[in-house]
Amino acid sequence: MGSSASIHMAQLPNYLLSNRKRLTLSQDEVAFLLGTQSGAKVCRYERFAREPSLEMALAFEVIFQRSASELFDGLYKKVEQEVAARAKELAARTDRQKPNRRTARKREILTNIANNVFNQ
Amino acid sequence: MNKIQPKYFRILAIAPSTVGFGFAVLEGQDTLVDWGVKKVKGDKNVESLSKAEKLIAHYQPGVLVLEDASAKNSRRSARIRKLYQRIIKMAVNRKINVKLFSRDQVMKAFIADGRGTKHALAEIIAKRFPEELNFQLPPKRKPWMSEDSRMNIFDAVALALLPRLW
Repeated sequence: MGSSASIHMAQLPNYLLSNRKRLTLSQDEVAFLLGTQSGAKVCRYERFAREPSLEMALAFEVIFQRSASELFDGLYKKVEQEVAARAKELAARTDRQKPNRRTARKREILTNIANNVFNQ
Repeated sequence: MNKIQPKYFRILAIAPSTVGFGFAVLEGQDTLVDWGVKKVKGDKNVESLSKAEKLIAHYQPGVLVLEDASAKNSRRSARIRKLYQRIIKMAVNRKINVKLFSRDQVMKAFIADGRGTKHALAEIIAKRFPEELNFQLPPKRKPWMSEDSRMNIFDAVALALLPRLW
């Protein structure tokens, strides 16, 4: 999932610590559930020093019974905004194409992606 | 749909004690992000300040909430009063809003007539965050027992909720 150099201004990159505390699990216990060797890795995720792989993120979803987008709210919001900005740009590019039913449908989808984020 | 962001998105509250301090990080309307007790040894104020600084660096709160040790009925010790001053100074240097609430204000916010025990307040807070705090609530202490350090978590959570209530 790349490095966590930039953090969304409002949300924290992830909410793994609060969810682990809510379930009264130790870092070592979560590490065991994740199938990793020690709690050090979990500690690094919780301190935002490292971002988990997709497989790990899904494992966290299973453990904490919360969606990955909820657990990694800050990261999700950052990705969401970046995708929306690109969707807006692609919609503008589509506008310059020859208008037909296909481009109209594409334009509608891209506008929806962009608006869903910017209207939040 | 437009979401209204509360004025202070993330709030950190610190409740010092003889063994260290209890802390709570509250986000949005009512989401408890982190809570716990930081225990210190040796120079308690230096250690406490260092741990408070780490919490601030990690959570980057918009506001820091502390008990008003200068309030009329405050019975905090000289050491803790000094610690409050140092934490406030550190927060101001980092351009973090500092909110102070007296013990009376805390009690009035949660208990109808403002009169109640620390344990009664803790029970109210535990009911508000059952998933997070119910198991942390220590049994009511007997007169010969010393206070459980976990009680400071509830004080910190109560303080963290106050900027939203006042």
